[in-house]
Amino acid sequence: MQGVVIPISMVPGNSTIHRMNPLPKLLWTIGILVISFSTRNIAVLGGAFFVGLLLVFYSRITKAYVKVAMILFPISLTLITLQSIAPAFPRPWTEIVGFGPFTIYQEGIYSGISLLLRIMAMTTWAMVTIMTSHPSDIFTSLKKIGMPYVLNFVFVMTLQLIPILQNEFGTVLNAQKSRAMKGSGFGAILPSMVPVFVGAIERVQQLSISLESRAFGSSGQKTSFRQVRMAFSDYFALLLGFIVTGAVTYWVIVDKSLDWSQSIVFSPAFAITLVLGATIGFFVFALFAIRAALKA
Amino acid sequence: MEPIIKVENLWHIYPTGNVTALRDISLDINRGELVGVIGQNGSGKTTLVKQFVGLLKPTRGKVFIDGEDTAPLKVQELAAKVGYVYQNPNHQLFARTVQAELEFGPTNLGVPEDEVAERVEQAIEFFGLQDLRDLHPYRIGFPLRKLVGMASIYTMKPDIFILDEPTTGQDNVTTRKVYRLIGKLRDEGATVLCVAHDMILLAEVVERMLVMRDSELIMDGTPRQVFSNDEIMASTHLTPPQITSFSLRIRKDKQNLGDVVLSVNEMVKLATN
Repeated sequence: MQGVVIPISMVPGNSTIHRMNPLPKLLWTIGILVISFSTRNIAVLGGAFFVGLLLVFYSRITKAYVKVAMILFPISLTLITLQSIAPAFPRPWTEIVGFGPFTIYQEGIYSGISLLLRIMAMTTWAMVTIMTSHPSDIFTSLKKIGMPYVLNFVFVMTLQLIPILQNEFGTVLNAQKSRAMKGSGFGAILPSMVPVFVGAIERVQQLSISLESRAFGSSGQKTSFRQVRMAFSDYFALLLGFIVTGAVTYWVIVDKSLDWSQSIVFSPAFAITLVLGATIGFFVFALFAIRAALKA
Repeated sequence: MEPIIKVENLWHIYPTGNVTALRDISLDINRGELVGVIGQNGSGKTTLVKQFVGLLKPTRGKVFIDGEDTAPLKVQELAAKVGYVYQNPNHQLFARTVQAELEFGPTNLGVPEDEVAERVEQAIEFFGLQDLRDLHPYRIGFPLRKLVGMASIYTMKPDIFILDEPTTGQDNVTTRKVYRLIGKLRDEGATVLCVAHDMILLAEVVERMLVMRDSELIMDGTPRQVFSNDEIMASTHLTPPQITSFSLRIRKDKQNLGDVVLSVNEMVKLATN
């Protein structure tokens, strides 16, 4: 089972990023979110993704990040396939080449690449924040800036439930394997998904009772066991985050020359290779994912 | 006769955290034996039995099931011979009806349709599930759901049943029923291993006990031998059933009282004689 566990939780470490207060990291992530949705420029999105990767290496969370990226990247590749034949772009579209019953469009290829980079940039920065911050520190920091206690708790519990559900999935998968579950196709995964979902619902019900019985939701001032302090460097990182997000967002909105959707021309050979590569990449991944999940 | 389970110098080290869970375990279990595996949490009980069904593979050493080395075998292949009943039935059950749940295992093994139907009927009869056949497993209470979990393995007709905490979370009526069912499984010729903390189950039902402590097998003997070994009981922080403790206490003064008593019935017999 260990092979299919995806660790979307804190990876212990002592890097500068780990030691930082979670607030600047959260602000950076929100900043990347704002920038990513403000532009389709592949250089800007690629740059955000690249800087996110540098932070991954610097924080020494590469191994855990790669496990997540191995799942996310191939799934995101489907965007290239779908966008190339049905671009999320205003018409008219520029035809590059006919490909079987489909037509591949210039705007589609560009849109697919930019969406892929957008998703990878946002998730990479989000992973850096999640994998370098203790959930309780995120909770405490958000509380300090006035995030409602209940919302805050929901957010942190969601983060904590992910590894629990992953382990649960492993146990259930083993239970089905020991009943000689057939080893191919989506139908083989289904027997494991039902108990995991039922278990998740039961767990949430039990959690809500447990929380209420321990005075969750009571009025009045609450104390916090875990104290998180803001150092000077954290304030600096926060300020830097604000400035960079504001400046880049302003730039990408104002500068019309950043729309490269028409200026970059994709050749028919490149378009077909990219679309085929993305499609095959996704299916190969899907095959490996199912095999890994079923591997005894 | 060749043992149905043979373990030779088995070591298991979990790669995560480099934790040694089993140290140099060797043992034989013969066909038809009813064995209890006991020890504190973290002593290696579950790691040991998961080796038998192939959910874990030896780091060093060998495990043979019916003479066959488990190392190259998949869980699905071993499932025909070794049935593993999970402590929490919710991990096993997923189908829309109890009947479909019972059919799942044998159909995976490629058992012909008419034989599957026959096995399902046998299981329903054996476990007393007549009224639950068409119900969704999640709509029946936990004790009965646990029986459905056992029945779903029973239909696969394995030679070896591994029951992980079969009586945990059960009411008294179902607990007694489980004791009887375990005995019946053995009577049908199956080899049964119970990982358990339920001392009454171990005293009254099993015939042999494997005692685990700190990843090692520290004793292999009958319940009477294990429960009367003060050193083993103290070092594993296990307590015999009250009636056995009572018998052990009075035997300290009266050595001629005969065997250590494992049940109330035995005590009554001893007292009336």
